[in-house]
Amino acid sequence: MEVSFGGFQVVVLAAFLVVTAALVGVFVLVARQARRNVAFEDVTDTGYRLRRVWLAFLLLLLTSGVVLALFFLPYPGAAQGTATVRVSGGLFYWSMNPETVSAGSEVSFEVTSADVNHGFGVYDPEGVLIGNVQAMPGYTNRMDLTLEEPGTYMIACLEYCGFKHHEMLREFEVTP
Amino acid sequence: MSQAVAEKASEHVLHPLGEQLNPRTSKPQNRVGWLFGGTGLALFALMALVGLAMRLDQADMLGLSPIWFYRLMTLHAAGMLAGALLSMMGGLWFVVRAVVPALDFKRAVASWASIVVGAVLVVIAVLIGGFAAGWTFLFPLPFQAAEQWPTWSAVTFIVGMGLVGVGFVVYCIDVLKATTQTYGGLGGALGVRWLRGKDQTGPPPQVIAATAVSIQGIICSAVGMTIVMALLDHTIDSRVALDALWAKNLTYFFGHTIANLIIYLAAGMIYVLVPLYAGRQWKISKPLVIGWLFTIVFVMTAYSHHLYMDFVQPGAPQMISLIASSAAAIPVAVVTIYTGMMLIWGSRYRWTLTSVLLYLGFAGWAIGGAGAVIDSLIPINFRFHNTLWVPAHFHNYLMMGVGLWMMALISYMLERSAGRTASRRTTIWAPILMIGGGYGFVFGWYVSGALGIPRRWAVHPIGTENYSLVASIFAVVFLVGFFMVLAEFVSLGRTAWRRRGESTTRSEAPAIAGASTEADMALGRGSEPLIKTPFGIATAVGMAVAASFVFLPPISDASTVTVGFHHLAHAVQFFVGVMLAAAFASSPAVIRRIAPRWTNLGLFIVVLVPVAMLLFMIPAIYSDIEGDDFLHASYHFVVLILGFVTGLGASALGRVAGWTVLASSVGMALMFAAGVTGG
Repeated sequence: MEVSFGGFQVVVLAAFLVVTAALVGVFVLVARQARRNVAFEDVTDTGYRLRRVWLAFLLLLLTSGVVLALFFLPYPGAAQGTATVRVSGGLFYWSMNPETVSAGSEVSFEVTSADVNHGFGVYDPEGVLIGNVQAMPGYTNRMDLTLEEPGTYMIACLEYCGFKHHEMLREFEVTP
Repeated sequence: MSQAVAEKASEHVLHPLGEQLNPRTSKPQNRVGWLFGGTGLALFALMALVGLAMRLDQADMLGLSPIWFYRLMTLHAAGMLAGALLSMMGGLWFVVRAVVPALDFKRAVASWASIVVGAVLVVIAVLIGGFAAGWTFLFPLPFQAAEQWPTWSAVTFIVGMGLVGVGFVVYCIDVLKATTQTYGGLGGALGVRWLRGKDQTGPPPQVIAATAVSIQGIICSAVGMTIVMALLDHTIDSRVALDALWAKNLTYFFGHTIANLIIYLAAGMIYVLVPLYAGRQWKISKPLVIGWLFTIVFVMTAYSHHLYMDFVQPGAPQMISLIASSAAAIPVAVVTIYTGMMLIWGSRYRWTLTSVLLYLGFAGWAIGGAGAVIDSLIPINFRFHNTLWVPAHFHNYLMMGVGLWMMALISYMLERSAGRTASRRTTIWAPILMIGGGYGFVFGWYVSGALGIPRRWAVHPIGTENYSLVASIFAVVFLVGFFMVLAEFVSLGRTAWRRRGESTTRSEAPAIAGASTEADMALGRGSEPLIKTPFGIATAVGMAVAASFVFLPPISDASTVTVGFHHLAHAVQFFVGVMLAAAFASSPAVIRRIAPRWTNLGLFIVVLVPVAMLLFMIPAIYSDIEGDDFLHASYHFVVLILGFVTGLGASALGRVAGWTVLASSVGMALMFAAGVTGG
């Protein structure tokens, strides 16, 4: 199996690096200021004021993240996709029916497991992870994905299931 | 050695004003600190080497078989969990005992022994039995493993993890009992009474942290014991069937919460240690009290983010988790870390090996926390779930946060005992190596996670081996720094050994604000009924009588329609026994005889009896007697008696700990009813 960066993942990584850089900056600044001798009252006067700003900023940032997340939930609606693929995971295989779909289909993957928990991860022809859902015994999880690009998609197990977990792969064709 | 010499020695190690804040220590504190901290750090060192072996193998450098890789993966995770948990339990106990002398040394040692025996069983299960289902032992993998490992190894591992939970709950019950009795109940120990103006001084922050953590610890251990017992029931009697989604919820509630609580245990410790080097006291404040109240809620409700990709999970826990996972960052970022930075800013911070490690631990918590919050947003989790982003963020805050604080605990105790700081070389170079190596190591995973490489793969996708190779090199750099610290510990230990006759233990120290007085201690050891008023006792009896409807033949017969209903009836029968015991034991004549002499017995009972109750609910026991009305009724009566005995045991633990334990034990029976069928 080959993997590669997707645009979405790169944006997330970049956002995290920006946050990390900001945090590192703060910790370096505090460490440098730690050597100074400042009356604690002076520190708290400014510190308490800044804490309100920090709280407001954090609330805004986190609330924005949560609200934004609500608009892009991957959970399926009531309407079934234009194609349905029944998937069952087992130690250590994937069975899929049908085995191909046509490009542009909104595919409803109905995923279950024949034995233990597995993770149904879908990688596009470039090797970008485009979505995943758990395969659980006794339950069927439905995941809707629109597969625009024709080619060979790769299914990989994303929930540890035993000694051949990393070999639990299969190809899935999306025809033009 | 005279106190003057001891103070002079400490002045050299701490901030000039830090000595005023240095917690008074006693033999039990030192023993617990060494025992828990030393064992934890030893496990950390061993498991770090196991982790390096796994990383090298992923880089194609070692040639381990996948079978051994997954065994080591299971061992590494369970061992690290036990090690970090032990260490931070010891650190918190060390600082809390200074102001809560009611904390019991023997019970702490019992807790330690249970966790260590649990860890030994895990080692046996993995290295001899070949168990490799991961530390989360997600049902049904331990038992449906296509003959990958024998059943006995699965049972040994599960019992081992159960003993880790038992050790933690023993610790939490004793801490909750001691803090709430010393500081005037739950509201007093959490600072709520102070917040409402009913208490002038309030508890010190470490007591608030200890109280909050112990409540969560009892609840999460109860959940953990429920899934452990359900799995053991399934082993004993294969007719016992578990719902996979239910099992996953319980497993992750337990696993997520206990792993999170390690950091919050550590927070209680740093409330005391950081001020020693900043010369400024970490005081109770409104944000701190409110922050901890929110933390209790958020930590307990965030676990469902582990089930985001289980689309059949009901929407409510998913949405609650989405909010709680982000919200949990606020008390951390706005209260604990921010206050820590304020204390350090302009303080002429005394930079020693200990204080450097304490400071850098904050950064690990903050950066790892940011990685966690990002992954807790569902659309992002859709493309990052179970990729290497996950070990990246939790290694970030556990290894680069808690790991450094584990070293800081031992370093503090050694520098204090030796009366000198670590060498300048180690103080500078070991942190540089650990920071450079550690962040290089975890960022290799962040990048790999963005690349979509799955976690828990023995063999990584073709062309990505170099990520593992680079990460392994960084891991070696981290370990060089870590072993420099260990070598310094040996050197400090030698100095401390030479000075062993010159006790640096202060018998009397300046009181920390809110510290218990002798009178408080006497109160803390007094008898305290579960129910204070006659009206309360009448209410408990009334509830027991009302719940007794479950014994009426129409209800009893109806409950046999499904196994779930039958287990629910058992839970109600257990509840009846609990309430009757609470009422009985609260009468002045009885409580005088129960508390406090029977605390150890009470603790033993509340840990063992609810577990026995769940073991009792297997078809092998009840299916043969269902045809006989007398035996069937006797069976239900035994369940009631088990509840009664649990209630008696809890009444020796004080009001807050007693009721928390009782609610958790009834909760165990209810949870069991919700997910266990068959037979």
